[in-house]
Amino acid sequence: MTITTGTQRNAAMQAHEIAVTPPTVRTDDPVSKAVQLMVVNRLPGLVVVDDADRPIAVLPGTQVLRLTIPESYRDDPALVRTVDEIHADLFWHGPGKLTVGDCLPSPVAKPATVAPEATLLEVATVMANKRSPLIAVVDRNGRLTGAVTLERLLTSLAVAGPND
Amino acid sequence: MLAPVLALAIFIVAFWFIATERANKVKTVLFAAALMTVLGLIPGADIFYSEHEGIDWNVIFLLLGMMVIVGVIKQTGVFDFLAIWAAKRSRGKPLRLMVMLMIITAIASPLLDNVTIILLVAPVTLVICDRLRIPAQPYLIAEVLASNIGGAATLIGDPPNIIIGSRAGLTFNDFLVHMAPAVVVIFALFVAFTGALFRTDLRGNDIHPGEVLALQERRAITDTGLLIRAMAVLALVITGFALHSVLHVAPSIVALVGAGAMLLVTNVDVAEVLPEVEWSTLVFFMGLFAMVAGLVHTGVIGALGSVAESAFGDNWFAAATALLFGSSIVGAFVDNIPYTATMTPVVESMAAQAPDAETGQALWWAFALGACFSGNGTAIAASANVVAIGIAQRAGHPISFWRFTRYGIVVTLLSTALAWVYVWLRYF
Repeated sequence: MTITTGTQRNAAMQAHEIAVTPPTVRTDDPVSKAVQLMVVNRLPGLVVVDDADRPIAVLPGTQVLRLTIPESYRDDPALVRTVDEIHADLFWHGPGKLTVGDCLPSPVAKPATVAPEATLLEVATVMANKRSPLIAVVDRNGRLTGAVTLERLLTSLAVAGPND
Repeated sequence: MLAPVLALAIFIVAFWFIATERANKVKTVLFAAALMTVLGLIPGADIFYSEHEGIDWNVIFLLLGMMVIVGVIKQTGVFDFLAIWAAKRSRGKPLRLMVMLMIITAIASPLLDNVTIILLVAPVTLVICDRLRIPAQPYLIAEVLASNIGGAATLIGDPPNIIIGSRAGLTFNDFLVHMAPAVVVIFALFVAFTGALFRTDLRGNDIHPGEVLALQERRAITDTGLLIRAMAVLALVITGFALHSVLHVAPSIVALVGAGAMLLVTNVDVAEVLPEVEWSTLVFFMGLFAMVAGLVHTGVIGALGSVAESAFGDNWFAAATALLFGSSIVGAFVDNIPYTATMTPVVESMAAQAPDAETGQALWWAFALGACFSGNGTAIAASANVVAIGIAQRAGHPISFWRFTRYGIVVTLLSTALAWVYVWLRYF
């Protein structure tokens, strides 16, 4: 019963309605710019696009952070443990001239995307399976039209769902 | 008449795609194998059961077992510890540092596969060179060269040896007795030669050993118990290989039992270790064996064998020489694994014609030495080279094709020449 009422209220909620317009980065942008964008806009992640505005990668915040970690350390926790404190704090200044393209994993995972008319259930499932607090919304040509954040999704679900 | 031509055509096209990297190599071999199956060029379900015309499961499971074992050893942090310890001992002297890193690499390479060694040793090398403010490229190149040479010493050190050993029925001890002596001598000479080879790179660098001393290598190993248990299991596995003639257990079984023991004894999370297995590499091998089976089944390999035999007649030394130098050259331009998988049945038919078992075996050793050492020839000759160059590139210390090949060619020529002298002196 409650479910039916819920769906009736949710019927109009699609991805494009709760999407925001995210700032994007390209592969030749410096890593420092990517981090800055994310922090300044208080986003849980970033979308990397190509020249035609098609998403190449949707990076959760932790993966944007990963871009800043020097490659030697990324997959070697034992090595990281050997770094003394003074040098450890210096890693933040490391990225320097490196671009997002330089630091993306290879091969990069298929970006987490949904169509504009996707239901909230679809969005939730993609987010959970891809473990990403950010999902890109793409049109039929694959071009980025917006992004759904975890916070927006949860808020919409809480507002639209049955009151218990 | 059509079948052999078709098989050869499919094979050559697939090989070309693999060698030029125009397509993903796993997809390529699977497609080629499937095509051969559909066209009836491989022996149907026998592909799974035939020892000589099918997928060599000994190789697949030996690789699988060792990958699991290595996956656990990786977690111990032992390589980082050793490398940093070596760097501190070297007091930042470039040549001493290079030799110590090469020795660490060479000790590990007969036991672990070369790609893994590079994955373990390269990051810590980059950090050390960074601290010492010296360019990392010469050290990475030296490590790759050392690992390709050292890997030739045992059955499990280099994939070509695993393929050859399984096909020719050569045991772990056979490799120790026949390959290891040559490899030890050649490696020693290589180390002695290192100073000259890398002299321009090692000259007059401003060494700041102080910053290396700040690294805390003890923290690399969090669980000494884990390390000890892992090393114990590894030692038992090696012993298992060596006792083949007594226990009559195939190396692949030893490796699988060792992998299971490793997981039990170290209490490592299975889910963490399974991703360490390079499944795509295993599938690649399966497809490759299926493709070669097609060549064997349609008689292409038999024909090649006959050509080789008529070319050499009774001159077995010439045959061995051709195998050694031929493998060294060809294997340098194509990845030495597909090369070895393809040539192994040819060498098998040649060895079958040999007048006595010793001469037949000599052909195998010449082939093995050539195939393993060819891995140093060019930047693409072996997977370890490609991996090292990729890591160096992404860390901002690029190694160009020619920079690597310049050193690689010299080392390959010298090691092959020395190997030839060894084969001549020992077997002919």
